[in-house]
Amino acid sequence: MKTIPKRYWRNLDIPLILAVLALILLGLFIIYSASAGKLLSENTNPFYYVKKQALSALLGFIGVFVILSIDYRAWRRWIRLMYVINLIILLSVLVLGTSQNSQRWFRFSGFNIQPSEIAKIIMIVVLAHHLEKPDNIANWKILSPFAIIGLPMILIILQPDLGTSLVFAGIVFAMTYIAGGDVKHLTFIGIICIIITLSALLLSYYDIVEIIKPYQLQRLLVFLDPYSDPTDKGWNVIQSMIAVGSGGFFGKGFLNGTQSQLDFLPANHTDFIFSVVAEEFGFVGAVVVICIFAVIIWRGLRIARLAKDRYGMLLAVGCVSFFFCHLVINVGMTLGIMPITGIPLPFLTYGGSSLLTSILVIGILLNVGLRRQKIMF
Amino acid sequence: MHMSSSLIARRLLILFAVICAGVMALLGRLVYVQIFQNEFYQISAMHQRLQSVPVDARRGTIYDRNGIVLALSVSANAVYAIPAEVIDKENTAKVLAEILHLDYELVLKRLNKNTASEWIKKRVPNEEAQEIHKAKLAGIGIVDNPERYYPYGSVAPQVLGIVGIDNQGLEGIELYYDQYLKGVKGEAVFERDALGKIIEKGITGYTPGVDGADLVLTLDFYIQKIAEKEVKRAALETGARLALIAIINPKTGEILANAIYPSYDIEKYNDYPIENRRNIAVTDTYEPGSTFKAITVAAALDSGVATLNTHFFDPGFIKVSGWTIRCWHRGGHGSQSFVETLENSCNPFYAKLGIDLGGERFYHYLKQFNLGNKMGVDFPGEAPGTVRPPSEKIPLVTWANIGFGQGLTCTPLQLLAGFGAIANEGVYMVPHYVKEIRTKAEIIEPDIPGPKSIIPVEVANMTSKALRSAIANGSGKKADVPGYSVAGKTGTAQVVEFGRYSHSKTVTSFCGYAPEEDPEIAGLIVLWEPQGAFYGGIIASPIFARLVEQIMPYLGIKPKSVKEIDKKFAVAVPDVLGKNVKDAVDIINASGLEPKVVGEGSKIVGQVPAAHAQVIRGTKVLIYTDFDYLPVYSDTPNPIGV
Repeated sequence: MKTIPKRYWRNLDIPLILAVLALILLGLFIIYSASAGKLLSENTNPFYYVKKQALSALLGFIGVFVILSIDYRAWRRWIRLMYVINLIILLSVLVLGTSQNSQRWFRFSGFNIQPSEIAKIIMIVVLAHHLEKPDNIANWKILSPFAIIGLPMILIILQPDLGTSLVFAGIVFAMTYIAGGDVKHLTFIGIICIIITLSALLLSYYDIVEIIKPYQLQRLLVFLDPYSDPTDKGWNVIQSMIAVGSGGFFGKGFLNGTQSQLDFLPANHTDFIFSVVAEEFGFVGAVVVICIFAVIIWRGLRIARLAKDRYGMLLAVGCVSFFFCHLVINVGMTLGIMPITGIPLPFLTYGGSSLLTSILVIGILLNVGLRRQKIMF
Repeated sequence: MHMSSSLIARRLLILFAVICAGVMALLGRLVYVQIFQNEFYQISAMHQRLQSVPVDARRGTIYDRNGIVLALSVSANAVYAIPAEVIDKENTAKVLAEILHLDYELVLKRLNKNTASEWIKKRVPNEEAQEIHKAKLAGIGIVDNPERYYPYGSVAPQVLGIVGIDNQGLEGIELYYDQYLKGVKGEAVFERDALGKIIEKGITGYTPGVDGADLVLTLDFYIQKIAEKEVKRAALETGARLALIAIINPKTGEILANAIYPSYDIEKYNDYPIENRRNIAVTDTYEPGSTFKAITVAAALDSGVATLNTHFFDPGFIKVSGWTIRCWHRGGHGSQSFVETLENSCNPFYAKLGIDLGGERFYHYLKQFNLGNKMGVDFPGEAPGTVRPPSEKIPLVTWANIGFGQGLTCTPLQLLAGFGAIANEGVYMVPHYVKEIRTKAEIIEPDIPGPKSIIPVEVANMTSKALRSAIANGSGKKADVPGYSVAGKTGTAQVVEFGRYSHSKTVTSFCGYAPEEDPEIAGLIVLWEPQGAFYGGIIASPIFARLVEQIMPYLGIKPKSVKEIDKKFAVAVPDVLGKNVKDAVDIINASGLEPKVVGEGSKIVGQVPAAHAQVIRGTKVLIYTDFDYLPVYSDTPNPIGV
């Protein structure tokens, strides 16, 4: 492992690191609040999830050091390999994976590994490399990044994991736009995507072609009118809204959220962890969390702006759009303005793959930041 | 490259703006949900955690007019389950089914329900409840759930009506006064989690129920019992399909007794046909027949169509617009005074009165007597009866028929109320079952229409005298009880079957009151389809006599001595002791009494009543010619008294 030149360390983005550490720490508390009661009633260690999450974080920190030690420009060598391996993994998860209603995970010696999380990182790196040359998106070639991301995306849609597909879409549009893609072309592609999505939904809704299964469709659309099925498909949204809404300005206090403590709020340590924050720490807590994300995004954009080259800049933009997409989709879901897709909230949601991915994405940002050209002072 | 980098900087700025907009949208939504809708969601959160279980209020007690308890609610165990807390559903269901003698599958089904609580069984005997308690089943509890109890058994069950398993009145008075009797349900509140499990340190609350108000009925327990005994006897003796006795106080309209046979056991009502639960006195109508003539008399006298001096010659029929109405007495009653027509129950005369009154006038009187209207009895399902209003389409013969009680229907209570008005000097009192409603705070009068004067006192009294004569000298003789001067009228109507009057099926009735001078009770006896002899005078009248004989002493009403009854009719029994038989018979005949010789001897050795006793003209005097036949007691009983 190469040692990192000393001058680079001065470029280390401390606010970004502090923001991430704050979120991870807050996440551990919230995971405890959301899971301890249930674990105790099952006579297990109330810190079970907290411990696992902390371990994943440690693993992530090690990963960050590994990432930082290699110049991001050196990754380009492995890009084709990474892309192919990614496809193979996504394909095999379809065949071998396990989850309740979809195939998203691999079980690997006690750990559930979610390849679609790792795929996000790989796609950011692959796209940044591809978009580095402006020629690659000139004229009709603007379709190329979409083709590159389209292949793994189809495999993910087939799992089916619509939330992750949405994140992919966000990343590819943001990166292509920043890379200088023609706005007219992008708009056209965007409209085509929306038309394809809508027609897929409509075809499924009217039972013409079953592109997505009826239960998924209902789950996806129930946020528009959750009270149409309040005890089943609408339950999650309603309970999340009640949790958030009843939290009020200052919240009900740590471990005092009735919605999360009394089992009204489902998946409260995973998908709906933001609802627990909003319930127990109120508007204040929720705004703090969103603000910390804003800090991460702000620092990320700053790194993009100051990046030494187009490649680094595009990597940073990919990372920023990754966080932004997750934030909007996950928090929007808990607030009833986004469909329920099972997208994690980075750093807070319990889950090794998700936390590891988020930390590694921070690692990429830090790497780009370390190796920037100009020195600020 | 320079151009490109400034483009990138601009696009980064735009991306930043888009991100800012997204974050602002999230914050805006947060403000809306957490601050503006905070109250709504707090209530929703609370609402879905709180589960309330109703606690039954004690249902009011029903008393007879003298405070005898007819129905009250007493504690009873009810077993319930909280499905979420039941651990071993199969085993729990097995144990419950065994102890409570229930079907295992049924119990298991209830335990598997996704509800906060489920009733397993109500009205559980104490021993079974104890066993349940001992079994210590998780999620199974016992609460007090009061049930209806009838300390004197099934008394006036058609009037009281049944109460459902949830303590709500389903029929009769229990239904009509349910809003008073039921009280206000209490509530037990507890906090539960999403799975329905009760939270130990959660919010709990208990609001006790407000007990229901008590009812004091107008029914008199003893009179009711007498009526129930007599109605049963009458039905069994006459073979009637259905029999009714209703007794009211004509001065107040209070219903003292309302007995129906066949009846049912209110505590085991499921074992009886549903029609046995009908209170036919209020909910069913019939054709009153000759008893109705009393009302025709009142209408005729009031309108001046006839006076007490009107005479009528009955050839045995009367022709009305092509129809021939025949008198029940073939060949006719010949020449009769007004009162005699009533005594003879002569249909042609009453047909004539109906014609003379005419549709408009007759209908007016019918309405005065509340016929064709609901009277406003405090009982659910009162029938109005049918009286067709006068019109071109209604032929005269209809009014002729109504004159003697055919061609209209009324409820038994409607007819009885009409007799009550005649007895009560022309003031109509609506019959009712409830005297007062007693809440903790106050005594409420039931909502019954007030008194209404419908015919003048003189007309009422003249009608009354005629009705008295119908008993004393007419078809209802057997209804009379010496000393209580019964007034009334018998009736026999043919049952309408397949649109025609049946020859074999009749409705036989008696309606009357006593004592005529100052009526204390008015009663109606109706027998549907008696077998054999079916004239009211023969089978219904004696029942009324028996009722009067039993009820009057109970009410403390002494029989009037002969003097008081009517001095003109009073006769002193002559002394015939020691006289020979032929002389004694002559003397007794001469004094207007009826001699009856007992024994084979030639000289009178004893007499009953004793010499100089005051008796009514025509009373039998027993004269004994043989010591063997003499009654053992020395004091000669007064045959008029009790």
